[in-house]
Amino acid sequence: MDTRTSTHSPSPSRVGAARIGIGGPVGSGKTALIERLIPAFAARGVSLAIVTNDLVTAEDAERIRRSGLIDPARVAAVEAGACPHTVIREDPTLNIAAADDLEALFPDVELILIESGGDNLASTFSLDLVDWWMFVIDVAGGDDIPRKNGPGVLKCDLLVVNKTDLAPYVGVDLAAMAAQAATARAGRPMALTNCRSNEGVDAIADRIVSDVLFR
Amino acid sequence: MLRIESVLGSRSDPAMHEAIHHLEHHHAVEFVTVAVGDLDRRRLMARTDKGEEVAITLPRDQKLHDGAVLVLDHHRAVIVRAGEQRWLRFTPRSASDALELGYHAGNLHWRVRFDGEDLLVAQDGQASAYAARIEQLISGGRVEMSEEAE
Ligand SMILES: Nc1nc2c(ncn2[C@@H]2O[C@H](COP(=O)(O)OP(=O)(O)OP(=O)(O)O)[C@@H](O)[C@H]2O)c(=O)[nH]1
Ligand SMILES: [Mg+2]
Repeated sequence: MDTRTSTHSPSPSRVGAARIGIGGPVGSGKTALIERLIPAFAARGVSLAIVTNDLVTAEDAERIRRSGLIDPARVAAVEAGACPHTVIREDPTLNIAAADDLEALFPDVELILIESGGDNLASTFSLDLVDWWMFVIDVAGGDDIPRKNGPGVLKCDLLVVNKTDLAPYVGVDLAAMAAQAATARAGRPMALTNCRSNEGVDAIADRIVSDVLFR
Repeated sequence: MLRIESVLGSRSDPAMHEAIHHLEHHHAVEFVTVAVGDLDRRRLMARTDKGEEVAITLPRDQKLHDGAVLVLDHHRAVIVRAGEQRWLRFTPRSASDALELGYHAGNLHWRVRFDGEDLLVAQDGQASAYAARIEQLISGGRVEMSEEAE
């Protein structure tokens, strides 16, 4: 290991790929959002890799590998066991190792998306694992979710309210839900998406490119 | 925009201390204040006290800290200053109330410090969000909450 230190030249250790977390309740659309973000990042020239977390299978990783959107070798699966939040917060070792492996295999990777297994509103990401994270909820989960002050909703860097297309069917007033979320989060960013028809996804990709990749 | 890709050291390092001290005399030391909750990030956009934007991207084995030196040359130094950590003070009325408060603080993953018979909780977000988590203890007068700065 190189242990030179100098006050006038940068340290030799390398700045790796940016790592982003995607958390949220079961079925809110985390994988669907990733499937939409893959082409959005490709269009922006961002080299991507993905880590998915499932309880005891590699279901989401297999789904993304089969999608044909990305080189299947760029998708890694971590089995989270019974406790999806433990592997993204208390002990993210498995996810860090999976991301490190992807970076070693694909040194050009600039951005790694890490999908958490579906969990409850209390799940948050360790900043040892990710640089920035979003929390995906959906309108069908109820318009009272932003009011419930779950740490996931409050602390994420970007709150994503997905499945806006379902609002009329579940009696949700989108504008009111968005306003409540903005209040609960003291004005921190939020995005509305419809992953079915690819609405709102480009804005998220743009935000990540500027806020996380700094370009 | 200033791009930072490593932490050079700490302002208290003997090797850096003298150079920084010298620059201080020439008003050539700038500070970047980073909120306590953001110190764990390896990627972060910040601003120096002179208004320059700083894009920080660190290797995985490095971390920001209070006093982290980001730039040090003959013309200037740029140093991280940790933002103020706010604390909430919880004062339980009895030992059994304290026991219950302690249980909740652990269950909620609050970061705590002990101060005599009080529990101090590192505040990240609105105080009301903390009170709401232990609403029965507060409204029953079993625990009192107050805000304080470090
Ligand atoms: N109508 C509608 N359905 C959506 C949208 N996004 C996702 N879905 C559907 O919601 C279901 C769950 O989506 P996933 O992407 O698997 O959700 P997830 O959050 O990854 O789920 P877990 O990983 O199991 O927690 C699927 O049937 C999706 O097709 C949307 O914007 N609108
Ligand atoms: Mg999924």
